[in-house]
Amino acid sequence: MSAPRQKIRLIVLALLTGAAVQAAEPDMARVSNGIFRPLFRSQTDLKEEPVKSFRLDAVPVTNEKFLEFVRANPRWQRSRVKRIFTDDNYLKHWASDLDPGTNAHPDQPVVWVSWFAAKAFAQWQGKRLPTLAEWEWAAAASPTLADGSRDAAFQRDIFRWYSTPSPVVLPDVASGPSNFWGVRDLHGLVWEWVSDFNSATVTGDARGDTGLDRQLFCGAGAIGARDPGNFPAFMRYGFRSSLKAAYTVHNLGFRCAKDL
Amino acid sequence: MRLAWLFLAFSAVATFGATNEVAEGLPPCCHPLVAQTNYTDQSLFQLESVWTSDTGRHMKLGGLRGRPQIVAMFFASCQFTCPITVSDVKRIESTLPENLRTNTGFLLISFDSGRDTPAVLRDYRAKRELSSQNWTLLRGEPEDVRELAALLGVIYKRDANGNFAHSNIITVLDAEGEIVFQQPGLNLPTDEIISQLETLSLP
Repeated sequence: MSAPRQKIRLIVLALLTGAAVQAAEPDMARVSNGIFRPLFRSQTDLKEEPVKSFRLDAVPVTNEKFLEFVRANPRWQRSRVKRIFTDDNYLKHWASDLDPGTNAHPDQPVVWVSWFAAKAFAQWQGKRLPTLAEWEWAAAASPTLADGSRDAAFQRDIFRWYSTPSPVVLPDVASGPSNFWGVRDLHGLVWEWVSDFNSATVTGDARGDTGLDRQLFCGAGAIGARDPGNFPAFMRYGFRSSLKAAYTVHNLGFRCAKDL
Repeated sequence: MRLAWLFLAFSAVATFGATNEVAEGLPPCCHPLVAQTNYTDQSLFQLESVWTSDTGRHMKLGGLRGRPQIVAMFFASCQFTCPITVSDVKRIESTLPENLRTNTGFLLISFDSGRDTPAVLRDYRAKRELSSQNWTLLRGEPEDVRELAALLGVIYKRDANGNFAHSNIITVLDAEGEIVFQQPGLNLPTDEIISQLETLSLP
């Protein structure tokens, strides 16, 4: 008599707990652990970098969300932000401090944000920026496979995006398909900040000042690459290593991550 | 009546809780503006991150305000470039005229949050004979190191052996913590940095 009742109680408890977890992070997807294989590595770098399971925002941060953030944190408003943390173009497409205006729709990904601003937003939400390894691992998934490198159609779609200039009007978030993990827009919408964007010693532009030299020079770049055919990955590495933390760019946004 | 009292008590607690939260509950990104209006817009001293020195003292970079700083990032077990960078900074120190030397700080910040404990930094100071009046050696949390490196334009990556590949840059901060000059490279002449410091110390 008591056994079935206990079972029901357990089920109810499980449902409630599940609901609570859902409610806590409704917009995040769970990305299971995997192996990130860096495109570039030095002689001492790992060939394979393990990535622990983590949670990742299902879509990039939108203008609407970012507006909430600057409302709650005046020091990150356009006219008040300290210039050490962003360049002069911070949120330049917004109409004013607290009005995104007609050029920035609520559901578009927020762009013209620096790494510092992205990091502060994440912190405010109790989250963090994903690491480069986490981002690349999540982004390697096609709609049907965790390892999308074996999905020819997916690879073609990515190439198409990287070979097309950004549209004048950015699409809203979630306009792309959901990948294996339930994450959208990792390709096809905007570039995204990662927490350790300034770690690409091998493709960095700092030619004279790193201990690693051979692969730094134009032309020799592809020699050290794991997969010279992975052009989009080259572009991401090149783009990231051209960034500085205070830079803002018209097609560079971000999304947040969290430990499990 | 009793309910009213309860309500009063509750709102008192709630109010108290809220004030506390403003002071302590917020992450460093989101402290109110008043807390940091002292520093100039470009000052590194406005960072909220807390660092630990080789003597175990906790401090913010703002604690270094008041004199120009020569800044380099390093890690104690570095076999290749950091010893050269530290020698470069020591060369700057020894080349400076006496009055400038006493008015300049030399700041080394570690990439290696895991291994460079205060004790390790203390040994490093002794081994490299870095004077305690002029030199500050700091370690910090990985995220804070990443942020400072981003501000200094230093690129780095931890490798599989726990060592760090990194760029070599010596930075000159003025007394307010703003970057006034950066010199990438190793074994370079010091005269440019010296003349920067001379300019900074002009009344």
